[in-house]
Amino acid sequence: MKQLLFIHSKAPHGSINAQEGLDAMLMGSAFAECTGLFIGDGILQLLDRQDTTGSGQKNFSKTFAVLGDYGVDNIYCSQSQLSARGLGLADLVIKVKPVSDAEIRQVLARADSILNF
Amino acid sequence: MKFAIAVYGAPFSHQAPLSALAFARAVLAEGHELLRIFFYHDGVYNGNANAAPPQDEPDIRGMWSEFALESGVEMIVCVASALRRGMLDETEADRYEKSSTTLDPAFTISGLGQLIDAGINADRLVTFGN
Amino acid sequence: MKSDLSLDKQGYLLNLSDWTPEVAEQLAANETIRLTTGHWEIIYLVRDYYEEYQIAPITRVLVRHIGERLGRDKGNSIYLMKLFGGKPAGLVSKVSGLPKPANCD
Repeated sequence: MKQLLFIHSKAPHGSINAQEGLDAMLMGSAFAECTGLFIGDGILQLLDRQDTTGSGQKNFSKTFAVLGDYGVDNIYCSQSQLSARGLGLADLVIKVKPVSDAEIRQVLARADSILNF
Repeated sequence: MKFAIAVYGAPFSHQAPLSALAFARAVLAEGHELLRIFFYHDGVYNGNANAAPPQDEPDIRGMWSEFALESGVEMIVCVASALRRGMLDETEADRYEKSSTTLDPAFTISGLGQLIDAGINADRLVTFGN
Repeated sequence: MKSDLSLDKQGYLLNLSDWTPEVAEQLAANETIRLTTGHWEIIYLVRDYYEEYQIAPITRVLVRHIGERLGRDKGNSIYLMKLFGGKPAGLVSKVSGLPKPANCD
């Protein structure tokens, strides 16, 4: 089975990339083995207890919890960029595997195709 | 080699569509196969049949439909992205009870599965815009 | 029963906040379905799912979820199709007052 890697690197609500990137990953799960990698401000998409009432946006962060149901079990997050934002794994809405920069290179290398969001 | 292209950027706001079009032409000129062009995010605006740019600027929608006509490459617009942004063909305009269609007939509305399929079946999926 | 429901041409609620159990009865009746206990179990299951995750489950996921929550004997697509017809995903969303799916025809 082909390995698709979805890279999420944008903050959650400033643009629609985050939401449409999640949609793409959920759709991908029906056709291929999908892996998610959160880097840069994309890590903020995973913040727990988001409240979008003030901004008027849909709070799609609740949807990350279904990734396991959809068979997307490998979710990685850059450890250094998580720490750089003053965050830890306990701040995130789902369980992710923190990876070092060297490990990120391996994740990239394993993918047959990469979709960037 | 088998290529597929994803376009995320809107015409005029971003360089992405013109770069994607130039790349698509180059792919074919070099004798490669181009599986599909998939429009996602604001990229769906590339299919806006009602765009009326100034005459001394590129008619990007017209360039795409000319490209599709001469190359036969399929140009797919993501249905969810298109609906959000009011890019409707006749079927969707009817389904959502909207008074007008907005999508150039050179573009086809289909599901996000077509992007995934491009990722799986092309040797290279090249994305323009972010 | 409310007779002045605002529906679109395909019979989906225009305002999801109009949904009540009585409205569900009517939406189902429009599709010539009479709601039974089996239907209600699924309607509340998908409404809870949507409330929690902000997404309507695709059929494959819904079927597994039904199996886990309502019993293994119900966790198959044949059971779902018996209740909600040949293309259950759209109809389940319609009757349960979830957003109209963008990708079904």
